Amino acid sequence: MQTSGTLKWLGLAIGAVVMLALPQLVTSSFAIDIFIRILLFSFIGVAWNLMGGYAKQLSLGHAAYFGLGAYTSTIMQVNYGISPWIGMIAGGVVAMLASLPIGWLCFRLRGPYFTIATIATAQVLMLIFLKFRDFAWGAEGTTIPNLGSAPLMMQFEEKSSYYYVVLGLLAVGLWITHRIEKSWMGYYLVAIGEDEDAAEAVGVNAPKIKRDIYMISAFLTALAGTFYTQYIYFIDPATAFSFNVSIEAALVSIVGGIGTLWGPVIGTVLLETTSALLQSWLGSSVGGIQLTVYSLILMAVILWRPTGLIGFATDVYHRTLRRKPARA
Amino acid sequence: MWETLAQAVINGLLIGGIYALVSIGVTLIFGVVKIVNFAQGEFVMIGMYISFFLATQFGIDPLVSLVVSMPVLFLAGVLIQHFLIRRVLGPNDMPQIFLTFALSLLLLNLSLMLFSANYRTVHTFYSDEAWHIGGLYIPVAKLIAFAVAMALSGLLWVFLHTTDLGRAMRAASQNRDVAMLMGINPNRVFAVAFGTALALAGAAGSLLMPFYSAYPFVGQVFVLMAFVAVVMGTLGNVMGALVASLMMGIAESLGIQFVGADSGLIVVFGLLLLTLAFRPSGLGARRGR
Amino acid sequence: MAEALVIKGLSKRFGGLRAVQDVSFTVQENETVALIGPNGAGKTTSFHLITGFHRPDSGSVLAFGHEVVGLKPHDVCALGMARTFQVAKPFGAMTVLANVMTGAFLRDRHIAAARSKAREAIEFVGLGAREQTPAKDLTTIDQRRLEMARALATQPRILLLDEVMAGLNPAEIDQAVALVKKLSASGLTIVIVEHVMRAIMAVARHIVVLDHGQKIAEGAPKEIVENPEVIRAYLGSYVHPPGDAHA
Repeated sequence: MQTSGTLKWLGLAIGAVVMLALPQLVTSSFAIDIFIRILLFSFIGVAWNLMGGYAKQLSLGHAAYFGLGAYTSTIMQVNYGISPWIGMIAGGVVAMLASLPIGWLCFRLRGPYFTIATIATAQVLMLIFLKFRDFAWGAEGTTIPNLGSAPLMMQFEEKSSYYYVVLGLLAVGLWITHRIEKSWMGYYLVAIGEDEDAAEAVGVNAPKIKRDIYMISAFLTALAGTFYTQYIYFIDPATAFSFNVSIEAALVSIVGGIGTLWGPVIGTVLLETTSALLQSWLGSSVGGIQLTVYSLILMAVILWRPTGLIGFATDVYHRTLRRKPARA
Repeated sequence: MWETLAQAVINGLLIGGIYALVSIGVTLIFGVVKIVNFAQGEFVMIGMYISFFLATQFGIDPLVSLVVSMPVLFLAGVLIQHFLIRRVLGPNDMPQIFLTFALSLLLLNLSLMLFSANYRTVHTFYSDEAWHIGGLYIPVAKLIAFAVAMALSGLLWVFLHTTDLGRAMRAASQNRDVAMLMGINPNRVFAVAFGTALALAGAAGSLLMPFYSAYPFVGQVFVLMAFVAVVMGTLGNVMGALVASLMMGIAESLGIQFVGADSGLIVVFGLLLLTLAFRPSGLGARRGR
Repeated sequence: MAEALVIKGLSKRFGGLRAVQDVSFTVQENETVALIGPNGAGKTTSFHLITGFHRPDSGSVLAFGHEVVGLKPHDVCALGMARTFQVAKPFGAMTVLANVMTGAFLRDRHIAAARSKAREAIEFVGLGAREQTPAKDLTTIDQRRLEMARALATQPRILLLDEVMAGLNPAEIDQAVALVKKLSASGLTIVIVEHVMRAIMAVARHIVVLDHGQKIAEGAPKEIVENPEVIRAYLGSYVHPPGDAHA
């Protein structure tokens, strides 16, 4: 146990050093852009996974919180000149508050009907923001005024700075997940995901736990929304509430390993790398190719490896471990 | 005012017939196979493209191409049930939801690659025809689509109530074990249910083609509508889905007429959320009890 | 002896079906009471009503003087009344230890404390060797043991066991009977729904008989076996009448 614990810390330390050094070693702006996408979607996946993975509340409406985060900080910045760093936290709080009525509605349903209801709520929010022309620019959206180098306004000249911001977000997300996983809350979440009635029978207040984890998940997802808007200097309802955000949040977790700490990260690395390779190979001219490949990967995982890549790796690891003593 | 209202109701009712075909398919699969088919809308899209290509390549009228789109999609349904869905049936929700969801994504994006995002239309001799009754305006193509949709729904009802296979399907939707006791192979019942549902979606596609554009995302409109209708009607109930679909069509049409052209969807989602808020029991809430 | 559970006038309808109709009975502290009756008599529904899974249309359930009607299942559990399910509901992906720890967290949210409490319960039901096994890989009897351990970990004063012996072979039934007796000896008040008469006669001091949602008899086991109305209720049902060893 002692050595495996030490090994874990060593691995984590090496990983951290590599991640911190990466933008210094690889300077191609194309590559850094891909790294940022990977970190961003890993983070969104981590946020989704807390509720969707551990508690198996399979939302396909997390774009709602991504969009609320993006709009809150942008409205505060563009209309009132407030720093997106503050707007980011405000966006998280708005998303948390919004998750209360949305959860109240959606958690009345279970299984696929919960999923459908979450899709509907995200769509309704998009439709509402399309109509808000007075203070949220309607369908045209708006660009974020470029201030050059303004770290206090979350604007940087170097792409690598954005990289460090989103790396920090991901680290926070993983740390929160780790803390929850190792506490009573983690056990309660998995229990709810496995059998809600049985969980209630042993004293788990399932509605409250689901509400709480939904709030945390919404908060984190909103942070990603603010970051993304700052990164691309643009916002409109179609981007902020894009169904693709909801899809990718769930997809990376399922492909990587649902309800595991590193699953969303591993899933994102696979999917985003595939997507980047496809783009450099075919050019971005062929519409639909990315999601075609994603859906094929998703189907393959569901049919052959429902536990995702992590589950696959664990199986292989255990099989080789079991074989080793036999050989010796 | 009354004329506008009546006109809106007629428009809604006519398109509601198409929604009904899609919803009945969703509810049939849910009732018998116990899964929600997220890809149902994409099969409407495929039905439309089948009719579109038969019309442009061979000059076949979309209504005639119904006899192609329905069997093709029935077969597709049987194969999908046999090779994909069958493998994820069980108590776990995740694979079921995300398998049909992946299928939806796949079909949508494949058609985006193959056919591009362009809108495709077929012009028939009756596409612009309309009857004027009093001050009301009734487009012939929509009326035909509605009539055929109702006829197909009626046929399905007769099938479910008079044939052994149909009775087995109804029994299976009420109680899995009863169907087993009747000595009917559940896999066959599932395959027929899935095939029938997809054939209905294909029919909806062909019926839409004379007055509606085909494009890769077209199915999403219909499947969302169907989900709302199925949630509002009782799950797994064919008649409930039919009535709810017609009501959805009318509600959407009234929304467009009186709230604004882009408000149809808001009305529909609003209805869904209201239904969830005030009538959640029996709508998949407390499943498996 | 104090009254642990007092049930008065419990009724529940599902549509036109009167699932439970004006059922009353009392369970004394540290007593084991069996709830029996043919299939569809309303036994499991009564459990659902008592533990908050269904809300009764009328009636009251007092657990150590507290009204529990209107409470959610987790509140009922927190009041000291734990249950098992007719069809075992293990958290399949979790290990046996994690399953039982989930129950233990109700009283203590610290991992170490919950773990030691859980180990105690696991040892008590005899699952010690299976601690690290995923619950979905357990045999039927071990899944039942797990359910009991998980319920025990919530430190209940009243335990409701719903057909814990269904599907077990005679040797396993003996083990289960011994376990229920051991639970009772540890001071628990037990309400048990069971079809296996041999087991009921062995553990219950008092029997309540339901038929078509109504209580038709109650009393000591010996009286119940000879009660003509009870025998009539069992005739024509799928279940073997009381006294038949292999139900």
